[in-house]
Amino acid sequence: MSINYLLLTRFLLILVVIGSAFIVGGIIIALCGGNALLAFYWLFQGAFTPMLIPETLVRATPLLLISEGLVVAFSARMWNIGAEGQFYMGGISAAIFCIIFKYFTIPMQPIALLLAGLSGALWALAPSILKVRYGINEIITTLMLNYIAMYFVSYLLQGPFRDPVSMFPETESIPLHLQIPVVVGGTRLHLGVVFSFFVIVPVTYYFLERTNYGLRIKILGSSSRVAQYSKIHCDKVMIQSMLISGFLAGLAGGIEVLAVQHKMRLELSPSYCQYGYTGIAVALLSYLNPILTMFISIFIGGLINGSMTMHRMASIPVGMANIIQSLIIVFILIGYYVEDKLSWRILERLRRK
Amino acid sequence: MEDSGEVEEEMNDVVFGLIYSSISLATPILLVSIIELIVEKGGVLNLSIEGSMLIGAFSAFMVAYYTDNLIYASITAAFSGLLLCLLFAFLTIALALDQMVTGIALNLLALGVTSYLYRASFGWYVSPIPPHIEKTIATLEIPVLSKIPLIGELLFNHIPHTYIAFIMVFICWFLFKTDLGLKIRAIGEDPEIAEALGINVNVLRYILLLVEGAIAGISGSLLSIAYYNMFLDNMTSGRGYVAIALIILARWNPLLLLPAVYFFNFVDVLQLRIQASGLAWFPYQFSLMLPYLFTILALFIMGRRVRGPSSLAKPYKKLR
Repeated sequence: MSINYLLLTRFLLILVVIGSAFIVGGIIIALCGGNALLAFYWLFQGAFTPMLIPETLVRATPLLLISEGLVVAFSARMWNIGAEGQFYMGGISAAIFCIIFKYFTIPMQPIALLLAGLSGALWALAPSILKVRYGINEIITTLMLNYIAMYFVSYLLQGPFRDPVSMFPETESIPLHLQIPVVVGGTRLHLGVVFSFFVIVPVTYYFLERTNYGLRIKILGSSSRVAQYSKIHCDKVMIQSMLISGFLAGLAGGIEVLAVQHKMRLELSPSYCQYGYTGIAVALLSYLNPILTMFISIFIGGLINGSMTMHRMASIPVGMANIIQSLIIVFILIGYYVEDKLSWRILERLRRK
Repeated sequence: MEDSGEVEEEMNDVVFGLIYSSISLATPILLVSIIELIVEKGGVLNLSIEGSMLIGAFSAFMVAYYTDNLIYASITAAFSGLLLCLLFAFLTIALALDQMVTGIALNLLALGVTSYLYRASFGWYVSPIPPHIEKTIATLEIPVLSKIPLIGELLFNHIPHTYIAFIMVFICWFLFKTDLGLKIRAIGEDPEIAEALGINVNVLRYILLLVEGAIAGISGSLLSIAYYNMFLDNMTSGRGYVAIALIILARWNPLLLLPAVYFFNFVDVLQLRIQASGLAWFPYQFSLMLPYLFTILALFIMGRRVRGPSSLAKPYKKLR
């Protein structure tokens, strides 16, 4: 029975947390002379009306893939901050592959996606080797590689692979037969969404919770000394966990290019929701639990879409999206703190009895 | 013969400009990285300095725009940077939340708040010429020293903050020789033992973070009211993160921080010059990459197996 109480308090806490984030956001809007109620009406309209739920899922997909990867890396205590760069490298290599092979009318999406994942993994390889071989802090190297990837992609988009017809730095459109098909007509809900939610999530869960290998990652993450005693090859596991996270981030980039944008653009990860950085928050907020990650990325995806609707319909500047996102993250963290305190108190009471 | 003389003079000018601006533009990162170094020695990894700098840049610009008073602007910048760090301190010390996530979240908050308020006060479509202020922080010539030929102009003709930053490096170095410095190191290495020895870990960390917030706010304000005369979205563009990288590069040693910061800025200024010189065959994106590439390279050469303070970024919970 006590477990049910815990679940109930957890659920109530989540409601309180989200409610208080919105109250603070509303106060900010009201202080700037906006109509907070109207703004939030549009926020929910944009996020969770039945019509727009496919859009929310489409938005959540890159977040989900990136954060699933980060869950693996963070479980092994590899702080990969470079998902943003890995995402971009995946996107650009998928786009380049499709442009080079655009005259082959056979479906080659899997190869393009594999290539995207591999280039993401490649972008994560250097920091992990530097970390394992030379003990160089991976937070810094992955962060620096984000900037390098951005500038590299910007070079490719303004130089060799720029669409000569377009006004913007972007590649030419990917031909229809190389795009990832849409599943439900009239929406943008594509096969990649289905794949991520129904294949990647269970596989990650199974991998981390049920296999020997996942256990090794977890032992390594809990304490490297224990890992050494239990004869786990720390270096190998660390590098592999980083490669998995790079692969998934690259895959996310490839799917975003082939299914949503249909071309590589500089704003593949727009400034109001930088997938790579938001993914870090999603992974950590879900307590590194692959299933919880799914729900949190759907929620954050809806929030991003909703704040865009809010921006269009209630003319609230885009910055509000960032504000609400950050408030939610902070309040979820506070929620965990309160939950921790509460469960500790419950334990104390049980002990006294 | 005359031609070669002219070329030589031009070369001298270029080299002079290069060194002068790398000293001058290094100030914000230097200021922030020194105080962040002290805070990290105290066991707190504060990523939100990026956000503090951004908020400082924004609020300083706003005050300077409406009052034309740069002193008020600097004070506001310090205060608003302090507010964000106070929030960070509350969340990570009082509630013992994860320092990295909190830092990232607060940076997102700062990015949102500044771009939101900027649009809310100047309108959604900013005219081709963004709003700008008339005067910026002036350079302060040090009376006698600046008259020394070449060196005087190079070293003693900067904004006041540059001298302060330079002096702070040595104060910081000296700090760790004192009692207070020992206490800071103690709470960064093992807060439980420090607490047992009678140091109030949380109060000391609060004080450090508040000072850091004020300094980060001021150093961010240099971007909008000293180097440029306007505010741009995400103006700090990762300078706070770079500061944290440079601390690792300097192995948490204040004296090594000085060459690390100036080295990074020299490469940064160099890449700006490469861009400006218009070498057509060299894409500007590659020169933009240079500072980041060089940081990784420098870490590879000098930063192997560096160990930071033991309790860095670990939430400290008092025994209940």
